[in-house]
This record gives sequence, C-alpha cells and structure tokens, in this order.
Amino acid sequence: MADDEFRQQALRHLDALYNLAVYLTRNGSEAEDLVQETYARALRFSHRFEPGTYMRAWMFQILRNTFLTFYRLREREPALSETGVPDGEAPMFHHAPAVDGESAGAHMDLERALGHLPEEFRTPLLLAEVEGLSLEEVARIMDCPVGTVKSRIFRAKERLRGLLKDYGAQDLTT
Amino acid sequence: MTNQIDGSEPDEIARLLRERLPRHQVPARLRVSIVESLDPPKSRRRPSLWLPPALSALATAMVMLLWLAPALPRSTPDQIQRLSRAVMSEYARAVFSGEVNPETAPAALPRVMRESGVLLNWVFTGDADITLVNVQPAFLEGRRALAMTYQDRDGHSVSYIIARGPNVAIPDRGRVQIARWRPLVRTEDGVTLIVWKQSGLVCVMASDMVSEADLGRFKEYFIKVRSSTELSETY
Repeated sequence: MADDEFRQQALRHLDALYNLAVYLTRNGSEAEDLVQETYARALRFSHRFEPGTYMRAWMFQILRNTFLTFYRLREREPALSETGVPDGEAPMFHHAPAVDGESAGAHMDLERALGHLPEEFRTPLLLAEVEGLSLEEVARIMDCPVGTVKSRIFRAKERLRGLLKDYGAQDLTT
Repeated sequence: MTNQIDGSEPDEIARLLRERLPRHQVPARLRVSIVESLDPPKSRRRPSLWLPPALSALATAMVMLLWLAPALPRSTPDQIQRLSRAVMSEYARAVFSGEVNPETAPAALPRVMRESGVLLNWVFTGDADITLVNVQPAFLEGRRALAMTYQDRDGHSVSYIIARGPNVAIPDRGRVQIARWRPLVRTEDGVTLIVWKQSGLVCVMASDMVSEADLGRFKEYFIKVRSSTELSETY
C-alpha cells in the first residue's frame, strides 16, 4: 500500500480511536498520549499491514496493545476477575458533549458503570456495540476466539445492567 | 426512584450505549499533532533560499564562540556537576554490575516506585530499537531515585534516572532543542548526559553514546522516553 494511501486511511479512524482511548484510560490527556503512541506505532509497523484487510481493526488492535503495555504497569486496574468488578472512583471524562441536566445524569451513570467493567469486558462491548465492528474483527483485536468475544459481550451487558440498577439509573430506556 | 433497565433484554444495553453514551471529540491539538506526525517528509516545505547563508553565518559565529569559550567566565552550577558525577557512577554501576532482567523489569516497577518515592504513571518499556532491561531504586547525592536501564540493539546501555530534587536548577547554557523539549546535553569522560526536569523531579539519561551518529540515536531514545513517561512524586 502506498504511504499516502496508508496515512489517509489511518487518519479516517482518528475519531473512533480517540473515543475508545478515553473510555479505556478514563483520562483525556492519557487518551491523547495513547492515540499518539498508537499512530506512531502504526506508522512504524505500516509495512506489516496487509492491504485488503481492515485497517480499522488493525489500528484498534495497536491501540489496545499499547494501552495494555503501559496502563497495566500502573496497576490501576486489576486483571479480569470472574467474580467481581474492580473498585475505583468514577472516571474522569473530557470533551463530553453538552447535554441537559437529566440527560447528563444518564450519561454519567452509563459512563460510571462502563468504567467499572474490567477492560476485557469493556473493550469488546464498546468495539462491537458502539463502534459497530463485527465479532470476527473484535476477536482479532482481543486476540481470542469469537465465542469468547460473544461471552464477554453478553456478560458485560449483564454487569452493566446490574451496575445501572445499583445506581438507580433513571429513565435510561426512554 | 424507578429503574426502567429492569426487565430489559441485554440488547437494550446496546441501544443505550449507541444512543446515550457520549462520543468524545478529538481535541484540535491532537488532530494537528497526528496529521503532522503522519506528514511525509517530502511534502514538507523546502528550506528558503536565505537559509544556507544564514546557517553559514551562524556556524561562523559558533566557531568564534567556541574559540572564545575557554576565556569566558564559567558558571556551571555545582549542583548539576555533582548530580552528573553521581549519575555517571550509577551508570557505571549499571553497566558493569547491573543485572539484566527484561522479563521482570516491568513487573518490578510497582515495588521500585514505592521504594524510590517516584511514581511513574506512564513509562516507556521499549520497542524494536531499545528495551527496558532493569529497574531498581537508587540514591543520587543523598536523594532517593529510581533507576531504569535500557539496552539497544547494538548493546549500548542507557540509564534513565529520576531523582527527587526540587531545588536543582538546570542552567540555560548547554541546553539543546530535541523535538519539542530543550534539555541540557553534556558529555563528560566518555558519557553523554541528557538532563531535564519533569513534574518537579530531576531526570537524567546517561549513555556511552558520544559519537555524532550515536548521539543522534541517543537523542531519539530521549524522545521516546520523554514522550512516553509521565511521573510524579509519591510522598
């Protein structure tokens, strides 16, 4: 693939990558660093990209791997637990769209609940349901079988429901 | 308070995520930065015609300055001198007796951060060119510090030491522009040091990379480390 074409394609996914980065890091400035590092790596390893395959999934894969490399070091987030969810304060979010008070409350509940999901649940859920990636693409990004992705997404939704119920989430379905 | 999530199917969550979860907008500065980083060198602006003579004049001025430099009053702060020597000792220790533990280096970071009082929120653990091979607490001039050792593909060792030192001032003289930073760069006894301050901490990278070509690579390593590290004092 020509360099210019590669760069143009890579740039198309900037918004989606940044959005996921914010939900992974829960911090705007760290999300910026993560996205910058992702693009630096993508450019460095552009020769490994196979033309004809989906660049979006490839870029997400780099972003997640970069996130795991740096973020897990800080031990802010425990590894996946089958029985519980990680403790932690409500995440910081930046550049959220302006909304009215009631709607903002609903957003906060959703964001807070999402922030309490382990990364292994949160990432496939966001990739599949928010970014609209296929299960096969998500499986490639997560480096696990499609069945595992399905299971994690299902369990993520169940946990999210439980968390929203705990928060007394109001009027989220209307 | 009612909860209308009750009784809903899991796909209702998917709808909520799609419709209610805010999408975070890319900050303009990040977009500009990414576009610039992807910009191929060939498309960058060609140097203006006035640049060669200007560079020539600048080079002449620098030669004269170097010629006169020994006669100028020296004002290198002792602090930096002492710190440099301490770092060189630490670097020598890392080169001659330091263990190489690439498998355990990242895992040891939480313990070393506790013992050194330096918190790394974000750290560069290496890439295809350079790898983090060791991390341990250290003392520099009586200050607690965190010492990391990297090794590049050619076997050069690079020490990256972060010390608590709120009163250490880095002089303007000797500073060099490297990417968007301007650290102090100096070479002493066959060791190149790059010194800067970050979050109130003194950071020094040391390596035996002193030739012109090696120094260029060392600066690239600095950019990798500097851009990928966020740190703070824990207590």
